[in-house]
Amino acid sequence: MSLSIMNLEKSYSDISGKNLRVLGPIDLSVQNGEFVCLLGPTGCGKTTLLRVISGLEQADCGEISSEKGRLGYVFQQGALFPWMNIESNIKFPLKAAGMAADLCRSKAEEILDLVGLYEFRKSFPHELSGGMQQRTALARGLVTGPDLLLLDEPFASLDTRTGINLQEMLRNLCRRLSTTVIFVTHNIEEAVYLSDRIVVMGHRPGRIVRDESLSLEWPRNRLSSTFTEVLLSFRHTFEELVDPSISS
Amino acid sequence: MKGEIVHDGDIISFTGRFNITDIREVTSSLEGITASETILNFTNCKSIDASIAARIWSVSEAKKRKGISLLCQSMNTDIQKTFARFRAIDNRSIAPAPKRTLLYNFEDIGDRVLATWDTVSGLLSFTAQAFRALFSGKVRGPITAYYMEQSGVMAVPIVIALNWLMGVVLGYQAGYQMKQFGGELFMPALLAYSICWEIGPMMTAVLVAGRSGSAFAAEIGTMKVRQEIDALEVMGFNLYGYVVTPKMIALFIVMPLLVTVANFAGMAGGLAAGGFFLKMPSAVYIAEVRKALIPFDLYWGVVKSFFYSTIISVTGSYMGMRVRGGPAAVGKATTSAVVVSIFLVILVDALLSLVFVHLRPGLSL
Repeated sequence: MSLSIMNLEKSYSDISGKNLRVLGPIDLSVQNGEFVCLLGPTGCGKTTLLRVISGLEQADCGEISSEKGRLGYVFQQGALFPWMNIESNIKFPLKAAGMAADLCRSKAEEILDLVGLYEFRKSFPHELSGGMQQRTALARGLVTGPDLLLLDEPFASLDTRTGINLQEMLRNLCRRLSTTVIFVTHNIEEAVYLSDRIVVMGHRPGRIVRDESLSLEWPRNRLSSTFTEVLLSFRHTFEELVDPSISS
Repeated sequence: MKGEIVHDGDIISFTGRFNITDIREVTSSLEGITASETILNFTNCKSIDASIAARIWSVSEAKKRKGISLLCQSMNTDIQKTFARFRAIDNRSIAPAPKRTLLYNFEDIGDRVLATWDTVSGLLSFTAQAFRALFSGKVRGPITAYYMEQSGVMAVPIVIALNWLMGVVLGYQAGYQMKQFGGELFMPALLAYSICWEIGPMMTAVLVAGRSGSAFAAEIGTMKVRQEIDALEVMGFNLYGYVVTPKMIALFIVMPLLVTVANFAGMAGGLAAGGFFLKMPSAVYIAEVRKALIPFDLYWGVVKSFFYSTIISVTGSYMGMRVRGGPAAVGKATTSAVVVSIFLVILVDALLSLVFVHLRPGLSL
């Protein structure tokens, strides 16, 4: 599913009632099957942009046009429903789409197998580790076979090893399903490892400061010199964006 | 322009812009003050952030306890607004000038009116959406039954206890006063009218607002904080149908029953008061109550309970949905849900009373 954003702007009122523009103007187009990372420092409006794309928030002005299709969203803290077990959580969006119970079960079992949680399908979210909960959230995001998958820092709260494992799993699943992905992160290495294209955002207001497609081959080796070169290049861009008054 | 602090005797001048990076300099400048009165001059200060304002305020408070006062002067509007969050500071120039006071007060009143209007219009629109979902959506049986149990069955003991006690108190006080004039025989009628027309439905509504309205706000608010509401929305669910209507339906079913239970519990309290304090035989009490009440009096409580159910379920859900930010906002939403629900229950009760006097047979002004 391709997506095109033109002249998008978003403002909030601050404490004194003044209008504060947090986003835009943003122009961005995403191709079908592309894996795009929105990379930027905290508070630059990445999540706001993702919420506007998903329709959870309204933009003040601008236009988002896309083909009609299914949408998946993976939240930073999973947002699993605590009163349902893992299997029910995953089946939930399928039921919402009106799918027959048998088909729901077989689809849920298939995705549970893919994310390695089949044995835990009857467990409740609080009985699982953070990594397993995020795998469940990913499975729930992917189970409907979304044409566009939006991920909001899904691995930010995980330890490095678990994060790396989940990155690999996500990338493989998305390649396999040819899903268009917009992935929000402030982790440069994660962005370079996962994406076809990195869009770096600056803040006050949130805007695109660098937009670059990566020519790194897949599978990517985090220790290779080309990977490190790209990583350093983005790190340089990123460090220029950080507020000097904070870094000093 | 970076912030700079200049000491000149008992005057400390702040120049430029101050932010968190200047906090050490600000702290050391203020903590070194020993004079009984020192002026902090902000004439050339462009801006300060909240962290600096907070530090000045906290040091000022600590100094005040030691008999040292810090007086702020010549702040621009932005700095005044930042400081306004820490009103306790002893500050002559923060207080608006007399000419500005009126305008400031009008602005403040205007802000409050607009905020209240926002809440009222939001609540009305939310109610309309909830009713639309109620009439168009499916009923989620198991979850509705869960709310019926939580809001209805679990509330029965407290509803009985409270209304029985109200009946005892009313029965005793009314009977005691009436006895002075030999009119204690009118106590059962007075008590039955009070309980069925007002106290039974009202006390039940207040209790359900406190128990269930707050629980609805806390539940939905927590779902908002944990992004579960966002997840439902992204999946294409009608939030009103999924989250709000089960609560509404549950209260529509249990509130009339609770009000009926409350009415009988209240009248039983009056029976006890009559027996203990007025030595009134229970047969006399029951006969007097039966003579006074007509079925309309009991149905009226049921009618009222539908209004109260709507108010409590919709207000609780609306306040939960308005939660933004972290867990602290959930606490505020819970409080708002209870306060607004009880206010609206009393307001609607007053309006319904006006209708009641025209509807009830045998009652005329």
